[in-house]
Amino acid sequence: MKTIYRNMTGLMAALLLAGCGGETEVVELEIIDNTEEVLAYYAAKPEFFVFKTLADIPTDLSWEDGSDLPEIGSDEAVKGGTLYNTIQDFPRTLRRLGPDSNGSFRPYLLDYTTLSIAHRHPNEFDFYPGLATSWAVDKENKTVYVKLNPAATWSDGEPVTTDDFMFMFFMNQSSYIVAPWYTNWYSTQYTNITKYDDHNFSITIPDAKPDMDSRVLQLGPSPQHFYKALGEDYVERYQWKFQPTTGPYVIEEEDIKKGVSIALTRQDGWWAKDNKFWRNRYNPDRIHISVIRDTTKVFEAFKRGDLDQFGLNLAEYWYDKLPNEDDDVQAGYIHKSVFYNQIPRPTYGLWMNSHKHLLDNLDIRTGIQHATNWQLVIDKFFRGDYARLQSSSDGYGEFSHPTLKSRLYDIDKAQDFFAKAGFVNRGPDGILVNDNGERLSFTLSTGYESLKDVLTIMKEEASKTGLEFRIEVLDGTAGWKKVQEKKHDISFSALSVSLEMYPRFWETYHSANAYNNAFLEDGSINPERTVKTQTNNMEMIALLDMDRMIDTYRASDDKEQMIELAHKMTQLHHDNASFSPGFYQPFYRVGHWRWIRYPDGFNLKYSRSAGEYYVQWIDTKLREETLAARKNGETFDPEINVFDQYK
Amino acid sequence: MLNLNPQTLKKLRRFRDIKRGYYSFLTLLALLFVLMIAELWVNSRALVVSYEGDLYFPTYTAFHPGTDFGLSYAYETNYRELQEQWQAEGSDNWMVMPIVPYNPYENHSPSNIYKPEAPSLSQKHFLGTDTTSRDILARLTYGTRIALLFAIVYMVAVYLIGIAIGCAMGYFGGTFDLLFQRLIEIWSNIPFLYMVIIVFSVIPSTFSIPMRIAILLIVMVLFSWTGMTYYMRTETYKEKSRDYIAAAKIIGASNTRIVLKHILPNVLSTLVTFMPFTVVAAITSVTALDFLGFGLPVPTPSLGELLKQGTANLRTAEWIVMSAFTTLVVLLTLVTFIGEAVRESFDPKKFTVYK
Repeated sequence: MKTIYRNMTGLMAALLLAGCGGETEVVELEIIDNTEEVLAYYAAKPEFFVFKTLADIPTDLSWEDGSDLPEIGSDEAVKGGTLYNTIQDFPRTLRRLGPDSNGSFRPYLLDYTTLSIAHRHPNEFDFYPGLATSWAVDKENKTVYVKLNPAATWSDGEPVTTDDFMFMFFMNQSSYIVAPWYTNWYSTQYTNITKYDDHNFSITIPDAKPDMDSRVLQLGPSPQHFYKALGEDYVERYQWKFQPTTGPYVIEEEDIKKGVSIALTRQDGWWAKDNKFWRNRYNPDRIHISVIRDTTKVFEAFKRGDLDQFGLNLAEYWYDKLPNEDDDVQAGYIHKSVFYNQIPRPTYGLWMNSHKHLLDNLDIRTGIQHATNWQLVIDKFFRGDYARLQSSSDGYGEFSHPTLKSRLYDIDKAQDFFAKAGFVNRGPDGILVNDNGERLSFTLSTGYESLKDVLTIMKEEASKTGLEFRIEVLDGTAGWKKVQEKKHDISFSALSVSLEMYPRFWETYHSANAYNNAFLEDGSINPERTVKTQTNNMEMIALLDMDRMIDTYRASDDKEQMIELAHKMTQLHHDNASFSPGFYQPFYRVGHWRWIRYPDGFNLKYSRSAGEYYVQWIDTKLREETLAARKNGETFDPEINVFDQYK
Repeated sequence: MLNLNPQTLKKLRRFRDIKRGYYSFLTLLALLFVLMIAELWVNSRALVVSYEGDLYFPTYTAFHPGTDFGLSYAYETNYRELQEQWQAEGSDNWMVMPIVPYNPYENHSPSNIYKPEAPSLSQKHFLGTDTTSRDILARLTYGTRIALLFAIVYMVAVYLIGIAIGCAMGYFGGTFDLLFQRLIEIWSNIPFLYMVIIVFSVIPSTFSIPMRIAILLIVMVLFSWTGMTYYMRTETYKEKSRDYIAAAKIIGASNTRIVLKHILPNVLSTLVTFMPFTVVAAITSVTALDFLGFGLPVPTPSLGELLKQGTANLRTAEWIVMSAFTTLVVLLTLVTFIGEAVRESFDPKKFTVYK
């Protein structure tokens, strides 16, 4: 008994120490200068890294600069103020690559705050310039030509040049960064970079694609001068170093309070601040991000006014915890906004590992599809706000299958399919048993602690069909690792998808991502094939037809053919029944204090969250007014706004 | 146990005289009994069903598919609906439902939305429902039962190991004692909670839920028996040097006999006083683990999980935290009262007063 208490205090003490600590020993690092090594690398790959002169740029190119696209920011926006945000875990590193870099801090460091060559317009889908002033696509030669903006600089004052793009390939192709996916991607998806001068270069990709511009234009450079010391010890050396950025926000060393908070500071002299597509965005002077682990506490902090904004996507927050009748909402201090967006939907659903015993049976998988009552979850748990996902590639416009519908919950059908697979009789607990005495029971694991209620509801519903789900709730990392290692039976998870023209199939459905040497040369199943781990083929799909279609799809540059293939593959995937499509959320909802202002239409069509494009601003006067009013009991008109212009 | 010596009988009588502790003990016994037969009063299965002249008692039997009672479906009969249907039809069939007609797993929402609902007599959700519309009283009942049983088994296991090793250390002394002391020091320095969390996270979920609970229990016991050995060791040391042990040795009594017949009964009083507090510790730690999400596997009903839901919904559904909190307080108070009474009655100095 005493031991327990003692150990608990020990644990507390350990947690406290971990919270306060973070001082690392200063280790003298070996001085590295890789300039020679980089040049030697370029020289060793003369096909990949090519040096030419300006005269070599073809003259018949049609240059684009996105200048006809509308502005993104609102001209009402004003600069200033501090935006108070929160994060669940302190970032484990400030590196952009390598172990632990793909955490929830990444959007602040990379995704939403840095510039690529050009960006997809969040309302129009076409590209608007980032680091470039213009670009040209040469379809025949699978090459994209880029003219960099000579004004573009890194946050430490160094200019952005072609060398930084060449170095980007060196860095991402090297094994120093310990990021195999990037190494593979940058080595296989690009075949050449040609330097014409410091601001002109071209990049070539292996296959022409309808959206081949995006593959090049969405690249972001790596500052060569900063990575002079890139070497074997990259992971440790750059662990807490902030890489100079092309974007508006930098992280100062004194703002890194490990385990407690971190802050982004706006650079006043940011080079792109007056550019058409970048002005009136990134308005707060500072973004202060504190670590609060518990959602309940985050909400309380928001209600106190310590945080400016809170996501109200979950029904319980929107309807119960911050209902429209809430005092702060009624008094107009807190505004509630719903914004209907249009993005490829994250694929929430049940991913069945068809490599596992019983789940390798199509009838059982189809039965499970009919035994999962998503509609009940949507109607009763999400209160009808969400919608049913119909396939794993919804939200891609014409690339999504137009008529395919996911299977509905149907006890009789489920039982029929289970019966076909030999599960006819029910055991004493109501779960089906086959002649070998095996129970129809699978582990349903998830890394979404916050959605575990979804699983308990589905377990109850599935038991009516004679199917048992054993629920396993893991923490996020462990849950993801389990599917990546293909150790799951059935996993409730989702792949988030970026704004792209067409869905990807290779990652999730190609046999190369399920098994090593899945098929023999004659097309029959290789009896000695082994499971391939650390890939996104979480259903272990290995179908020759699918492989062939994916290969054609990947190599195709004919949009019509790709659409047809996408539909066929989606259908084949549906027939394989290894993915039970769950739900999607057609909107996002936030509650924000009155002083956080958004443009007239609130946000942009393809935005994923209210903060993604940094179009909001802080009205510091309103902040003072609101806080004073709250003290004196004055009220304003309540604002509960629904923005459904893109519904 | 049958031939209690007069000393022990006296202590037991004294325990009976300490009213607070004694009545707490009786209350806890009654509670335990009520919880053991929870299936009879908190259950979605009917107690008695009379269908076409036959009587069914579904409580403890295998499940009855709907087809057994003339329904169309093959899954477990929904007795509540069936009862309403029969009543509406004015049928001759009848059934008796338990007082709380819900099991701890089913989502039953009067408003058709899964959210916490306030206590309602008419819906027979006497303590309301939790975030997914499961009956709180049902979850509380089964959760408390699991916690109590868990604590009792935990206590017995910890004592068995603690007494055996502690006694041996004290009785044999010498190298054996030295060796074990060091071992225990090392062992008890392994952070208990971390170990539980680590071990429990690698248990494959293919194991059944009772199996996983048993593993949790074993892990907790493995890291908790050490505290007991210190007391046992010193007590045994003390008794060992007494004359009556020397006398027993001269007569030729075996070590086993000396330990079991002479030493153990004499150190029992120390042990007994610790027992209730061990139970308290077990309940608290399993609740704490559940609260942190590392305890009993989902969807097992548990006090910790209810507390967690409660704190997450403090503003909107205060009945969740209230019922879980009250249960925990009552339970721990009862056990603590018993503990104090036991300690007092086993205290050799009868007239000491606690200050």
